[in-house]
Amino acid sequence: MFVSDCRREFYDVIVTQRVLLLVASDVDALCACKILQALFQCDHVQYTLVPVSGWQELETAFLEHKDQFKYFVLINCGANVDLLEILQPEEDTFFFVCDSHRPINVVNVYNDTQIKLLVKQDDDLDVPAYDDIFRDEEEEEEDSENESEGSEPSDKRRRFEEDVIERTMRRRQRREWEARRREILFDYEQYEYHGTSSAMVMFDLAWVMSKDLNDMLWWAIVGLTDQWVQDKITQMKYVTDVGALQRHVSRHNHRNEDEEHGLSIDCTRIAFDYDLRLALYQHWSLYESLCNTSYTSARLKLWSVQGQKRLQEFLADMGLPLKQVKQKFHSMDMSLKENLREMIEESANKFGMKDLRVQTFSIHFGFKNKFSASDIVYATTSLMENIEKEGPETTNFIKALDSLSRGNLDKLHQGLDLAKKQLRAIQQTVASCICTNLVISQGPFLYCSLMEGTPDVKLFSKPVSLCLLSKNLLKSFVCSTKNKRCKLLPLIMAAPMDVEQGTVIMVGIPPETESSDKKNFFGRAFEKAADSTGSRTLHNHFDMSIIELKTEDRSKFLDALISLLS
Amino acid sequence: MEPAEVEFLAEKELVTIVPNFSLDRIHLIGGDLGPFNPGLPVEVPVWLAINLKQRQKCRLIPPEWMDVGKLEEIRDQERKEDTFTPMPSPYYMELTKLLLNYASDNIPKADEIRTLVKDTWDTRMAKLRLSADSFVRQQEAHAKLDNLTLMEINTTGTFLTQALDHMYKLRTNLQPGESAHSQDF
Repeated sequence: MFVSDCRREFYDVIVTQRVLLLVASDVDALCACKILQALFQCDHVQYTLVPVSGWQELETAFLEHKDQFKYFVLINCGANVDLLEILQPEEDTFFFVCDSHRPINVVNVYNDTQIKLLVKQDDDLDVPAYDDIFRDEEEEEEDSENESEGSEPSDKRRRFEEDVIERTMRRRQRREWEARRREILFDYEQYEYHGTSSAMVMFDLAWVMSKDLNDMLWWAIVGLTDQWVQDKITQMKYVTDVGALQRHVSRHNHRNEDEEHGLSIDCTRIAFDYDLRLALYQHWSLYESLCNTSYTSARLKLWSVQGQKRLQEFLADMGLPLKQVKQKFHSMDMSLKENLREMIEESANKFGMKDLRVQTFSIHFGFKNKFSASDIVYATTSLMENIEKEGPETTNFIKALDSLSRGNLDKLHQGLDLAKKQLRAIQQTVASCICTNLVISQGPFLYCSLMEGTPDVKLFSKPVSLCLLSKNLLKSFVCSTKNKRCKLLPLIMAAPMDVEQGTVIMVGIPPETESSDKKNFFGRAFEKAADSTGSRTLHNHFDMSIIELKTEDRSKFLDALISLLS
Repeated sequence: MEPAEVEFLAEKELVTIVPNFSLDRIHLIGGDLGPFNPGLPVEVPVWLAINLKQRQKCRLIPPEWMDVGKLEEIRDQERKEDTFTPMPSPYYMELTKLLLNYASDNIPKADEIRTLVKDTWDTRMAKLRLSADSFVRQQEAHAKLDNLTLMEINTTGTFLTQALDHMYKLRTNLQPGESAHSQDF
């Protein structure tokens, strides 16, 4: 059931209760969690936080805690499956689901009592009407009972004939209704996509309660930017949401322009920026950033010698000396930095990169600390998917959660370093895949598989890193290939996950086009292929298009997919 | 005393807040507080003010001495005089630190206030060190310093008393026959 008044139907209900927070492992969920934690701290709400990275962990956590809690809040998990069937809860447990995964499962939408969805109604949801999917079961029983009644033989016979005709008509109607229902459900659930970021939904809740602070606004911004960095939402939706957040930013930060009553330098200031799209460029050198951002490296084709020459031409066109560009951005000459954005934009237009600038926000506190929203996204993602194990399973999650607070700058800087390593690894892997033609067309899709001994392959055993790699690879492949048909194909990427158990992690991403609506059909396709071949797969991730399967079953799984999709 | 203890005592000082909730009078061991009405200023101890501010339930109003003009005057006065001048509040240092840490968005020109208070503190500490130095050198029996705050006394207290103890021991060992001065501390 959709919650219309977030404050009354959600917050006021849980403010007096103990709550269990189940949070998925992505940056948007982390930001939503931070906002909700801050609200809980204001009102002294008792809560327990459990990070979950897949359906199995969700079920285990639920079973462990179901005796102690009656109210569960699920962040970025749980909307796209039938929760009641999977978790089998008691009658008096309530679930509040704040999830950006779509399509929302119809059972979750039409359940009136136990499941409440914290979702904005103006998202284009297209939920099928109730009558098209659910039908009273009582009509069935009337049919069977009528058969046994009857009094006189002739009447009986006539009534019998009438009954038979009625029954066949009803059965035919029922079959038609069921066929239509299957079609409607198939259309509805075929494509996976993402809706409004959960962090923005939580921020709206805080705003409605007048408890929104600049810090919470920043977390909402980071949540939205995470959706953009991971290519989960369309450009239109991103621009619309940026506009909505910009209103909040000007409301909170208009005092900074006034010299007389300006705020202390230590206060958080957020500013709207029409900034460059280069990843981490203010914490790196401009040269490294140009090489390691997927947008620039794909368009300049930096994996080839030609591409390197084009990069030199690009820099020369802007008049930036190589020596300056290769040192840390902070140490570049001020005269060069002043008009940098306009210069780069002009030159980029000449080299075919029309969207090098993007609307985003940056935060500024103290004298030294200035970060752009995408910097924080990259840093937090690398902290969360850090492969170096430093203790129990959840330390990475907690570290990433902590790095979002202003006081934990050391963790943030550690995250930035890890992010640089990750971006470099992604670029090198993309370059080697393209140069060695590892991306093969299988007919209805492109396929690429990372071999065991590839450098940094361990980094890509985590879902978000693998998704980033696949998107970069697809972008670069589209720019490098001359085959027009291949440019419109989606990509499936496989990487070894666990060598001892012989499993492989596989990710499917939609095709890369200018106006793509980011709808992904691989979720259902993977399920069907796994069923038909009996492969040992694990659909553990909240995103249905990411699965794990045994290495031996890989080839028959792929064959099944090819036949399914062609 | 630890500096944390001095800060704890400082948190009993009263400060004005403007709450955004309503609550009847509450009766605590230390006295009564309230009633709280949204939009109406009320005086509460600093510990409660900071707690409410962190929970976003109030807005802090800086004390009247926490103003750039007044603090400039105090600082200049302190620099002119040789002895200590009276301070606007016996806990001026702790209050500045607490309020600027937690409520700097409610205090206009917070950075300048921080600088001015620090300047005044530095001047007073310099005077204190000078005075302690001359006290020890001239082996005085008593000293009287007016207008010192508890935090300042606390910074030098332990060191000064231990130093004077050592001096006494050294002196009594030098002149065993004479009756030693009994110095009351």
